[in-house]
Amino acid sequence: MGAVGYLYLRTLRNRIRRALRKPVTYFYLVLILFYMTAVPMSLRMTVDTLGADSAHGLVTVLTVFAFWTIPANLIAYARRKGLVYRNSDVHFLFPAPVSPKQVLLYAHFRTLAMLLVLNLFVIICGKVLFHAEGWRLAVYFVFSVFIENLLEASIMLLMYGSERLGEKQRGLVVKAAYGLTGILVVMGILAYLRGGLSLQTVTDYLHSDLVLLVPVIGWYVAVLHLLFLGATTVNVAGTICYILLVAVALAAAWRMKCTGDFYEDAIKYAEDYEAVLESRRQGNAQSRPGRKQKFGKARVNWNGSGARALFYRQLLEYKKSRYFIFDGGTVVAVLAGAAVAYLSVWEDGFGALENFAPFVIPAVSAYVIFIFTALNGKWAKELLSPYTYLIPDTVFRKLINATAMQHIQSLLNACLITLPGAIAMRLSPLVTALAILFYVVLSANKLYALAVAEAVCGSTLGRVGKQLLQMLIQGMAVMAAVIGGVLGMAVGGVVQAYVLMDVFLVLFTAIFMVIAMLNFYNMETA
Amino acid sequence: MLEVMDLTKKYGKTLAADHIGFTVPDGRIGILLGPNGAGKSTVIKSIAGLLRYKGMIRIQGQDARSLEAKRSFAYVPELPYMYDALTVREHIEFITRAYGTAVTEEEAERLLGRFELTDKQEKLGNELSKGMMQKVSICCALVIRPRVILLDEPMVGLDPAAIKELKTVILELKADGCTVLISTHMLEMVKELWDVTFVMDKGHIVGTYPREAVADEDLEALYFSVTGQADRKEGI
Repeated sequence: MGAVGYLYLRTLRNRIRRALRKPVTYFYLVLILFYMTAVPMSLRMTVDTLGADSAHGLVTVLTVFAFWTIPANLIAYARRKGLVYRNSDVHFLFPAPVSPKQVLLYAHFRTLAMLLVLNLFVIICGKVLFHAEGWRLAVYFVFSVFIENLLEASIMLLMYGSERLGEKQRGLVVKAAYGLTGILVVMGILAYLRGGLSLQTVTDYLHSDLVLLVPVIGWYVAVLHLLFLGATTVNVAGTICYILLVAVALAAAWRMKCTGDFYEDAIKYAEDYEAVLESRRQGNAQSRPGRKQKFGKARVNWNGSGARALFYRQLLEYKKSRYFIFDGGTVVAVLAGAAVAYLSVWEDGFGALENFAPFVIPAVSAYVIFIFTALNGKWAKELLSPYTYLIPDTVFRKLINATAMQHIQSLLNACLITLPGAIAMRLSPLVTALAILFYVVLSANKLYALAVAEAVCGSTLGRVGKQLLQMLIQGMAVMAAVIGGVLGMAVGGVVQAYVLMDVFLVLFTAIFMVIAMLNFYNMETA
Repeated sequence: MLEVMDLTKKYGKTLAADHIGFTVPDGRIGILLGPNGAGKSTVIKSIAGLLRYKGMIRIQGQDARSLEAKRSFAYVPELPYMYDALTVREHIEFITRAYGTAVTEEEAERLLGRFELTDKQEKLGNELSKGMMQKVSICCALVIRPRVILLDEPMVGLDPAAIKELKTVILELKADGCTVLISTHMLEMVKELWDVTFVMDKGHIVGTYPREAVADEDLEALYFSVTGQADRKEGI
């Protein structure tokens, strides 16, 4: 086995072994399996209602997906930003006597696992939602994993590896990709002007022969048509064009001379990528590769002294940030809030869960906090700085000031997730306020639960032990809140249930907070 | 032999290396010196084939970008980065496969033992300290039995025992006819090693000093006399 094959397989084997030792892996596996089966099941009724429960519908969905992914990949490769290398590759692989083409393929094949999972999901959806024939789905899987992947790898090799294509020529490829997208948009607008805005117009447009004639994207769609809907003159012609494209791209990539000129761009992207990973580890969710976070000018009035400086420094950082305290979590909160309101008003309630309608908001809140909220925010960054420990102040004030901005962020997200649903369901102001409090306290609970795990474990049990402990102690708090809710419903009603849920959660959170203060005594516990 | 000929590198409009040229013959140890921002890293990364550049770099007479040249060339970067999911031993295995070097178990054991890594062989890359990573990086460079080796600040992060061992290894490489180029700011550490010193400043080689030509002149004094850094500091 060659060096690159050894590196790929050994890394994969060790990663799988390491992942299997982490309990959280099984949790995520269950979650992925749940999504892969629950999503197609839950969409079944909608697809049936829309009359899209056929291979025709599957082709429609895959066409939309192609409109998005093909130009995006082309642009990323032409800008030499599509492949992810790590600093370890720069250290060991780039200077090694390994063909630069192999180095490119190594990075490409690291995305293979994700490709397989996505295609598996398409197969499940194809069978459950669109009732496509098994053999057609099997052929699609083979086509997608081998032929389509072969074309993508060839294009990637040409864009990254070719030393005859300069920056200008690659810029032209980017423009061509935008051009192809532009053609599709113009055709879409024309279809809208002719047929008006309706689902039928959109479907007719996506299945029109003209679309199949658009180079690259249309030819790919032609293959899908031939495979799932049967042969027509146009889709056979498009498929031939696609096969020719694969052959030409493969031959060009094979013959192309490549001595590793792309390493410089790959190193730049690797450095950006590692910087982003580090930045995200420290709680900066807005960080993106290749985009240095821009900071504007801002000022704060530094009131107070001691640990208060931590709060004002964080506030200053947020004020300098482009989106202030708004981030991905804000978007999720808006979407979740809108979804609850939509289900409540337009879908006439929550079906079988109608009796639990007043508790839908806390349930959604808990889900969002568990799945989408970053474990470490800016407060965790404070634990890495020696200055935090040197500041002459009490640990209580340090904890409060280090986490205050995070609580303010939670309050904002709590309002966004709660208010639309509360208005739609006509919840009383008191229950609404209690629901907001639930979100804020549960967020704080998650934050402090991790801090408790940090304080208790330190580095003795490693990350796995810390995760386990965090899940265990937070599970206890959530269980207590659920018991509070049940008790409240038994003794009174919705208000009492909310009050007891919040009281139990506040009690647990306060205990966690006291333990979390241990983190601020010295750096060792962090 | 390492030959750098008319090497020019620009980052946008910034000229980082301007017509650089020097040669380190077989069995000689070259030292590359210069203040921060002088262009040393650019030269080093160019030799290692990590940057695009104008000019020519030859390793054992071959274009540095060719696979033949790379087979006889080893590189120890300033900052070591390990593969998170590979053990120390697997790093060695990967490198020997990449360079096509036949290394016996005993040879690998002996090399790791010289840098006190024997009991760390099964540790994963992300379980190592910075100093350990540097030792693994050095072992990976040595295991291929290079004819040209480039060491960028190799002493940083190493404990005194490892520094002593590295100096011994460098002298062994020299005796074996290997070409060594070291970039460092730690002049004390290399004072007994060097054969020729290249001083860089502002993207140029501002002085080339074979040891025979400067007799017993102190490397530090030589460096400051060429770069004028000491005068600049005194003027502050």
